[in-house]
Order: sequence, then structure tokens, then C-alpha cells
Amino acid sequence: MTDRATDTVRNREAHEAAEKLADYEWGFVSNVEQEFAPKGLSEDTVRFISAKKNEPEWMLDWRLKAYRAWLEMDEVSWAKLDIPPIDYQDAYYYAAPKQKPKLGSLDEVDPEILRVYEKLGIPIEEQKVLAGVEGARKVAVDAVFDSVSVATTFREELKKAGVIFLSISEAIREYPELVQKYLGSVVPQRDNYFACLNSAVFSDGTFVYVPEGVRCPMELSTYFRINAENTGQFERTLIVADKDSYVSYLEGCTAPMRDENQLHAAVVEIFAHEDAEVKYSTVQNWYPGDAEGKGGIFNFVTKRALCSGDRSKVSWTQVETGSAITWKYPSCILKGDGSVGEFYSVALTNNRQQADTGTKMIHIGANTRSTIVSKGISAGRSNNTYRGLVRVLPRAENVRNFTQCDSLLLGSDCGAHTVPYIEVKNPTAQIEHEATTSKISEDQLFYAMSRGLDQEAAVALIVNGFAREVLKQLPMEFAVEAQKLLGISLEGSVG
Amino acid sequence: MLEITDLHATVAGKAILNGLTLSVPAGEIHAIMGPNGAGKSTLGYVLAGRPGYEATGGAVTFDGQDLLGMEPHERAAAGLFLGFQYPVEIPGISYLQFLRESLNSQRRSRGEPDLSGGEFIKLARSQAALLGMHAEMLKRPVNVGFSGGEKKRAEMVQMGIMNPKFAVLDETDSGLDIDALRAVGAGINRIMRAPEKGVLLITHYQRLLDYVEPDRVHVLRNGRIERSGGPELAHELEREGYTEAAA
Amino acid sequence: MTAPFPTRRQEEWRYADLDALKPVWEQLAEPVTMTVGAGEELEEIWLPSSDEVQLRRIRLALGEGAEARIFALNTAPVYGRIELEVSLAQEANFELFCANIGTGLSTNEIVTTVKHAGGRGRSRQIVRSVLNGKATGSYLGKVEVARGAQQTDAEQSVKAMLLDRGATANCKPELEIFADDVKCAHGATVGELDPMQLFYAESRGLDPASARALLLEGFVMGLWDNASDPGAICTAARDALRRVV
Repeated sequence: MTDRATDTVRNREAHEAAEKLADYEWGFVSNVEQEFAPKGLSEDTVRFISAKKNEPEWMLDWRLKAYRAWLEMDEVSWAKLDIPPIDYQDAYYYAAPKQKPKLGSLDEVDPEILRVYEKLGIPIEEQKVLAGVEGARKVAVDAVFDSVSVATTFREELKKAGVIFLSISEAIREYPELVQKYLGSVVPQRDNYFACLNSAVFSDGTFVYVPEGVRCPMELSTYFRINAENTGQFERTLIVADKDSYVSYLEGCTAPMRDENQLHAAVVEIFAHEDAEVKYSTVQNWYPGDAEGKGGIFNFVTKRALCSGDRSKVSWTQVETGSAITWKYPSCILKGDGSVGEFYSVALTNNRQQADTGTKMIHIGANTRSTIVSKGISAGRSNNTYRGLVRVLPRAENVRNFTQCDSLLLGSDCGAHTVPYIEVKNPTAQIEHEATTSKISEDQLFYAMSRGLDQEAAVALIVNGFAREVLKQLPMEFAVEAQKLLGISLEGSVG
Repeated sequence: MLEITDLHATVAGKAILNGLTLSVPAGEIHAIMGPNGAGKSTLGYVLAGRPGYEATGGAVTFDGQDLLGMEPHERAAAGLFLGFQYPVEIPGISYLQFLRESLNSQRRSRGEPDLSGGEFIKLARSQAALLGMHAEMLKRPVNVGFSGGEKKRAEMVQMGIMNPKFAVLDETDSGLDIDALRAVGAGINRIMRAPEKGVLLITHYQRLLDYVEPDRVHVLRNGRIERSGGPELAHELEREGYTEAAA
Repeated sequence: MTAPFPTRRQEEWRYADLDALKPVWEQLAEPVTMTVGAGEELEEIWLPSSDEVQLRRIRLALGEGAEARIFALNTAPVYGRIELEVSLAQEANFELFCANIGTGLSTNEIVTTVKHAGGRGRSRQIVRSVLNGKATGSYLGKVEVARGAQQTDAEQSVKAMLLDRGATANCKPELEIFADDVKCAHGATVGELDPMQLFYAESRGLDPASARALLLEGFVMGLWDNASDPGAICTAARDALRRVV
């Protein structure tokens, strides 16, 4: 990170630019009279949400269809998770933009949070924004901050290239044909319980469309996406890459996402045409709850890519820490001949966290390839499970898959689990799966410490080495943040 | 004995042999030398019938029979032996079992009776001993855990057991130390020097030829025989290199 | 009292042919318990019968330092299932060598749960499947390492060979680990015969069918190398392969 003075200047510029957008973005929101939809989930709730968002008729119909289907479905219970039963009527499904509590200064902010920001190298101004300190700028959703660019120039560039990048609520109004064509094409409403719920009550998310032959000129990210609104609950993201296009999308925030919402049920759909390539990276640090495991978030995400066109390619990269309960399996349906699916994951659990994550690679087309690299790190009293499926259908000739699942256990109170399913119905497939389990060796630790690192730093170093193969898949800025995040998340796990 | 006429061959759609003509009479040992990538191994594989190595033109007769029209196992039964440059490993099957089944398969095709288990073991052991290979190696799975040199030596033991009419030896000398080279050379001379047999030695370096003196030496370049001569040609190539010698 | 008839929803019956099992469940359902006392040794060779449906359900308990080795051939014409639950006390040693050989419409599966309760134990599971026609061969193997079962060494090596489009190989090598100083590895591959190996064998005189048979034989026969009296199982395996190849 560069020196503070320059950062402050840049931040000011960025914030000024963003504020211009913010006034536009949130224009409609300021007209809201009611703060919350009534508690509970009924058809009226769905209508309320759709009305608040000024959605066209077809969108309301789509939501209602999903809601009715949801009423008939059974909840899932097969993961190795300890889920207390969720009362779906005891929740708010729509909350108007909630003002963050107005704090007078950084002194009033929870010192824990400040310590994290400092460790992550976030400059003071940004910290104020994140913590909701009075007088700090509001920031727009979906604005992009990297260390030099500014929101306005960024929008211009995308416009020139023809790339559509907006919130899904906007897209429903501005590009209804596109949204209608692709929404639900990769994750149908009835796919699973939480996707169905999401289809009925999704609040917002991102819509991306990259036209034929276009290489998106920059990384699209919701990096410092600040939820001034409480919209993180039921996110819906749709990314469409037309023929021969390329886009890299980053999701997530390394600052801890503190949220009282119990339930997060998101859906991410990626549709890749012939020769298109989509990279989807996630660095997520969910507030993990306290050391006793109370107060964390339930995170159920359905993420799926349809490699529809020949030679299309989708890579999922994720670094996940925290979250009381995580359930997500980014998947690729390899339909086009020669299409490629990749999954790179680091999942770190500490204290009493639980994670059940993995991927599904479904090989339908010929000459399709999939690569899975999963690194699980368990510490404290946590449980970390990899659950994956590699399926080769009978007509899928010449499939190649390689899977590597490695678990690293820190301490003797945690657990690491691997549950891979391999189902092959074509004789020409070559499928390879390997899994290993290890701990940090005394020798490695001693060596690192003898070079001057304290124990925590030494463990962080070794863990980063363990996760390197995945981290190197991330765009550089994200990779740096991810490394720091791993270090922070390991605190208290050693000794 | 082996007549190759205007042979054209492609590998993965790429033309490698472009009109190769070569004739090895019975009782003679011929050497083929050439720069890497010239098509030496391709020639060996085409003669043995490896899938993916298509003969697209020309003809090959072996003892008057059309070789290219025969399946790999039929060529073996007809008396052709290919010494692989990279002998293949077959886990789970012992050398003894592999060679006994192969040999008996050949014998059956020729209308000869099978060798009994005991007869075969005797034959295998004596051939192994003649080539300086421990009999114990024969009990191991085919080529598994064998060093490069041991694999080449084992190829020669196979040749001794099969006792073919014609051997095409693809870079049999690569990876051998002096002692192994000497043993392999002696083996080739013992097994294959006979008026009714023939050998095609495919080699990059000439040192094997110090032990197995060829009757003719050919230079394979650009997918065809560009030059032929007596044994002294090998020495010339060694001195001058392939580009010079082609001139 | 017979155990309740299983359903597809139960993980360990996910790939089973329950229709074939139903008529004979009553007779076959009872699991057999075997114990190997501390320091003792057990070797078992499980040959297939000629029944259409074959079910083996074994619960095996290994005492401290006990050793057990099981060689099994699973090749029922309609439905064959070997179900094995093994618990290991400390320093116990367990080895399983098993082959699924299936043809036609058969379903053959091996389902194991190996629990390392004590430390310094060792388990090794080597499974090979050869399937043609529309046969299904499955391996579901769970290795559980209890908290405190330090220095456990658990290995699973599962390989399947499909000879026809329409045959299915299922593999689920599962690890549930609660101790950190352990060596737990598993590998699973599904593939086809190596074309270079086939060519090598043919160049030595074996016709294509014999070459395939030989290579498939090598793929399976290595399983019986450590059996004290492998004659019967080798013969049975070769016969089964002959039907498949």
C-alpha cells in the first residue's frame, strides 16, 4: 500500500466521483415511505418488493411463479452442518436503505473492526466510510475502486466497449429482453430450495453482458461495495458472455461484513457462449461470529456456470473465511464441445465455524476438461468439508478431469472432511482424483521462526504457501488482500 | 528380405516419410542414421504397425508378403521384431507371463505347438543369462521399475526368446553404458547374424556400430534415404555431422 | 428382526440395485460380526458364489495391534454388494484388496467404513473395477479418523476401467478426519486401457483380444499378490475377466 497522503487524495477524488453517481443511483430510493415490508413471507411480500423496485409485470410474474413453487419444496439437510431450524416467517424480506448508525468519530467504532482495517492496510478515510462515521461519503453500489482509477472514467471505458455492467434492478428496467432471455437459464427456479426462495424475493445484484468479440477492458468488481443498504440478503447475479468475449469479475470484500441478517441465499448465473471466457473470483470474509460461534451468518449460495458454446471456459476462484455456516458449490455444466471448467478454492475455518463447499463439474459435451483444486484449512474447533461431484455422461467422449483436494489441520480440535463423488459413464474418460491431509510440521514452523517470524506469522506464511496454487489464480490486488485475510483469520488458532 | 518401396507415412496428419526406398537382403545388417526428427522412429513404428502411424503411399514386402496389410500381431508371427526406443511398462503382468503368452500366440499362428511352462522358463532364463540379466528380473512386472538400460537389455532378451527373422531396432543403444552396450551388441550378433535373417539398426550415434558392424549404412533425412554407403559412412557422419554429410 | 429395507436416500445405498435386493433381503440382511483379538491375525478370501444376488455384510473389530487382510472378488451376475464396517483399535492394521468385475446389466458395489478409533493404526484399501456392457461398479469408502487417533496412516487406491459406453463407474472415497498428525491419502482414477501398452503387447504377437485380456488381467491380478493361497481367487478372477473381455 502506498503512503497515506496520496491515498487520502485519491480517495477524495474517488469519493467525489462516486458521490455524483450515488445521487443518481439512489434517486428512487429516497422516495420510500415504508421502511420495511411486514414481517414474514407471503405473496403480498413478493408483490411489495416488486412494486418498490418498479418492476415490469413480467418480472412480478416470474417472482410469483417461484414463490408458489417454493411453498411446495422440502428444505435440504444433507450437509455435515449443524443448522438450527430457520423460521422463514420470522424475517424481513425487504428493508429500505438502512442508515448506518451515525458515529461521531472512529473512536466510537468497535476497536476490533478498526484493528482489522488497519491490518488490511485500508486508509483512514476508507475506514470511516466503511464504519459509517458521520460526514464520510456515501458510496454507490457497483462502483469500482482500484488504486488509481476513478468511477467516471471507468464507466466511459465500459460504454465504449459495449459492456453492460449495472445492478440487476436497473438491468430489468433498461435491458428487459436480455434479462428475460437469460434469467433462470442456468439456475432454474426449482433447482433447489434456496434458489427458489431467492427467485421470489431477490433484492439486488449485478448484471453483466459482454458483447461478441469484446474483451472487457478492466476487471469488473464489487470490491469496496459498501452496503449502505441492507441489500446483501438475497443477491442475484447474472453474467452473460457472448461469443468470443472475455470478462473477469471479482466479488467480495476483505473487510468483515457485519450483518444481523441470519439468512443469505444468493444465486449467481453465468452463461458462456462459443469461445467465451469468464473468470469469477470471490474473496469473502464473512463476520464469523464471536469465538463461541454466536452471531454468525448462514450463507447459502447457488453458483452455476453453463458453458453453452463450444470451447467456452469458466473459472471459479474463491477464498473464503469466516461465516458461521457456509454452503456453496460453484458448478460448471460443460455442454459445449471442448468447453473447460475450473474451480480453485481456499476455505479457511477457525473457532467454531463450519464450511461445506466444493464444486460440481458435469461433462456433457465431448473433449471437455475440468480442473479442481481445493485447499481446506481448519483451525480452532472448526469443521471444513469439501464436497464435489465429477459426472461424465455417456455421450461425453474424451473427457479429462483432474482433482486435487488438500486439507491442512491446525491443532487437534478441528476437523477436515472430503466427500468426492465420481460418476463416469463413458469409457474414454480419464479422471484423476487425489486427496491428502496434513498438518504444519514442527520443522517448517521452527525453520520459519528461526528466521525471525513469530509463531503467528510463521503459521500464516506456511498457510499461504499451502494455498499458493489457488491464490495465484486471483487478480493481483485481490491476491494480496486474500493473503492478508488468511493471516488475520488464523489469529488465535495457534498456541 | 525386407523391401521398402517409395513409402509415404503421416503421423497426426503430418507427413513424416516422403518416399522412402530401402532394401535389406537376407543375411545383412543395415544401419539407418539421421538427424532427430527425420523420421527414424516413425519408420520403425510404421513397419510394426502402430496405430496413428498411417502409410499413405508405397509398399513394404517382407519375405515376399505385403507387410502393411498385416496386423501388428500377424507381423510378429511372420517373424518381425521391433525393439522399442521407449519400452512400455505393464504393471501387474510378469515378464515371464507376458513373453510366454506372446510367444505361444505366435507359435499357434504358425501352426507350431505351445511351449510348456517349464520349457519356456528354461528358454527365458538362458536368454537372460546370455544377456547378463538376472533371472529374477523376469518375475517382475514388465519393465516396471527398470532403468533405461535394463529396459533395453530386456528388449534384447525378448528378441532372443522370440528369435525373429527380422529385427528393427530403434535406438537400442540409447541410455546404455559401455558394459551394457557390449552385451547388447554381442546379443545382436549372436541372435541375428545368420544368412536367413536380417536387421535394420536405427541409431543416432555410431557407437553401437563399433560392436555390430553393418553391411550398409543409410542416411534418413527429410523423410527419405538421401545417401547410402558402406560402414565407413558411419564414421564420416560422426566426424562431419548430418548437414555436412548430406552435401 | 430384520433390519428395515434401505432406500435410495441413504448415502450408502445410492448406487444400489434395490429392486434386485428386495426379494432376498430377508435372507441376507443379517450382518456378521467378526473380531480379531489383540495381536492376532486374520486373512479372509471372499470368492463369489453363483447366485444372482450376493450380499455380504460384515462388521469387523480389530483389537490392539491386530491385523486383518481381506481379498474379495465381487462379480454377481445381477447384484453384488460387499459391505464392510471395520473399527481399528490402536496400532491395528487393516488391508482390503477387492475387485468389481461386471458385465451385462449387473451392479456390483463395495461399501466400506473404516474407523480409526485408536492411534498409530494403518488401513489400506485397494479396489479395481472392470466393467463392460451396461454394468455398474461402485466403491463408496469412508475413512473416519477419531479425535486423538494420531499417526493414523490411511490409504485408498481406487481404479476403474470401462470397456463399453453404457458401463458406469462410481467412486466416492470419503475422509472424515478429526486428528491432525495423520497421513490420509486417497487416489481414484477412471480410465481406459493405454493404447501404447496395447500396441506393445500386439507387437509381441498377441492378437488384440488377447492383448486386452492380458492388460485387464494385469490391472486386476496384482490385487492377489499378497494372499497366502491365491489359487482359487486367481482362477475365479480370470474366469470373470474372460466373461467381460
